[in-house]
Amino acid sequence: MATPERVVIAAAGVVTPIGQDLEAFWSSLVTGASGISQIERVPVADLRVQRGGEVKKLGRIKDWRGVPDCRASRLLIAAADDLCAQTGFRPLPLDPARVGVVVGTALGGVEEGEKALAGDRGRRRLPQALYDGPGWSLARWLGARGPVITVSTACASGATAMAVGADLLRAGQADAVVAGGYDALCRFVLRGFDALRSLTRDEVRPFDRRRSGLLLGEAGALALLVRERDARGARLGTLLGYGSASDGFHIAAPEPEGRGLERAIRAALADARVSAADIDLVSAHGTATPLNDRIETAALKRALGRRAHEVPINSIKGSLGHTMGAAAALEAFMCLLSAQRGLIPPTLHLEEPDPECDLDYVPGQARPGRPRVMLSTSMGFGGCNGALVLEAA
Amino acid sequence: MRAPAIRGLGVLSGDLIKCGGPEMAPALPQSAGPAAALILALARPERPGDRFRRATRECLLALAAVDAMLEDGKASREAIAGERTALLYVTAAAYGASNRAFIERRGGVMHFAYTAPAVVPAEVAIEFGVVGPYGIWIGGAPATLRAIEQAARLLDAGTCDRALVLAVEIFEECADLYARHRRFYRWPLVETAACLWLERGAGELSFESTRGNQGAAGAAGAGERFAAGPLADLRDWRARATAGPVELSGRWRGEQARLHWSPEISHARGSAA
Repeated sequence: MATPERVVIAAAGVVTPIGQDLEAFWSSLVTGASGISQIERVPVADLRVQRGGEVKKLGRIKDWRGVPDCRASRLLIAAADDLCAQTGFRPLPLDPARVGVVVGTALGGVEEGEKALAGDRGRRRLPQALYDGPGWSLARWLGARGPVITVSTACASGATAMAVGADLLRAGQADAVVAGGYDALCRFVLRGFDALRSLTRDEVRPFDRRRSGLLLGEAGALALLVRERDARGARLGTLLGYGSASDGFHIAAPEPEGRGLERAIRAALADARVSAADIDLVSAHGTATPLNDRIETAALKRALGRRAHEVPINSIKGSLGHTMGAAAALEAFMCLLSAQRGLIPPTLHLEEPDPECDLDYVPGQARPGRPRVMLSTSMGFGGCNGALVLEAA
Repeated sequence: MRAPAIRGLGVLSGDLIKCGGPEMAPALPQSAGPAAALILALARPERPGDRFRRATRECLLALAAVDAMLEDGKASREAIAGERTALLYVTAAAYGASNRAFIERRGGVMHFAYTAPAVVPAEVAIEFGVVGPYGIWIGGAPATLRAIEQAARLLDAGTCDRALVLAVEIFEECADLYARHRRFYRWPLVETAACLWLERGAGELSFESTRGNQGAAGAAGAGERFAAGPLADLRDWRARATAGPVELSGRWRGEQARLHWSPEISHARGSAA
């Protein structure tokens, strides 16, 4: 079978609770900064847990004229502004009809639906409430006139979006794709996770014996993808492969043995044409729920075999919370920055190892290391499992 | 690209025309109010088993569409189970009903899980043991055409042996919201749940999309089905027993997409209307 055309991640842009550009995001990760705080933008007094990874002020863009009054759209556009700053161009120096947009989200513009149901009869509320609304807002802001796609594989959405973006390039339907993920903290999701008792009152402690749940965060994370033959100048790395698999087990709980995640990892390795022995770093989904981290450990051991015990594995959710649709894209960028900077960020708040999570989860401080091939894993509601394989530039 | 073959198609539709599966009468709920007169609704399918006690209408319609597809393909549920079956789900708005119920504090604590679009294909994966690759697109008809193209690509690459393209659209629970934005849509809104079973084929398939001005959501014809439109059109094409290629098209938020396809029908049709 022919080798698929290689797709390069030329640049990335982010807005996160720990920094509103790629450099600030990276600095916070390696220094162990936390973006968790009391939530201020929406009322939370009635909720059991009132903290999360909130972006306090979207400071990058001063003039929001022409952009809908929609938090999700604005997170995406703030991330796109950073992406444009990284590339040095806005608009991108390409035929607009050949620039595509692929974004992943767990929530879309659901907050606009909340407003519409609360009586706000604004003309744009309903179109923005549909989950693909923010993706179209981003395309308008970018001036992109190529394909605009929204995917929603729950908390694996960012990984799916990058893979679909790469497929668009390989199919010749675009010459450049802005791909990634986003989600905003809003009453809807905070109340939902609060009701499910998934949120912790403690720190988020991935793979720690005392872990007691996750905290939610908000973010936007976008990459500029181009075919390798079209890539010019600096690049972050290469998207080598992607795999997905359904659990087919439960609508909200992961399959207890992690078989779906294992299948997704194996599929991603096969798609990337690498073996487990080639993997140098794993960015784990690592939500810090008691079930997730144990299941993920088991799946990694089966999928990677002995290599699972030899490579560093980290989770960045202790730093910024679970950013849902943005999480997988942010974690992919962390992998590529690790390779570029020669430093692996720690798993924040991992202090007491869990015997059931007995791999090297990079506790304490950032450590030197220059991975070449990296694996990033994601799991979501509905038994969505996704995995990306990335290669250093 | 090599076109996939059609192995089965189930379409449940609020406009009374059906393909595969048991007859399902459309139902206009008594409580829906004047806005619902512009919606051709589907009744909530009954499904035995405690697991479905909390399941939402869109989930149950998805399961019924897969049942209809299996009946159309004269196949048992075992034929689609396993990790070699890909499941590609498309919707523009089916999650709206569940989201609204949660926002309005109906449905209890566990209902939050049902607000995720991913839960509709998850119910199919659980019920039919479909655990292969998956994808979930949010959008109108062009998203469904992309999903068919993606299915063709997965089949061509050997990533899977069969692919299910599932589309569900329901409107009744948000009838008043759609009525506020009446000029955006072609009325009536026709609730539809459909599932298409594809396997490797021999014909040709090509996809193209262009962007124009924002306009009405769908293609020509009566009524609007959002993402489920192309599968209903495919049903109509089969019902006409036309030989040769089919062109499926659709529009959403100013994107006009077209899929030109010469599908083999790899199994005798079941109860196509």
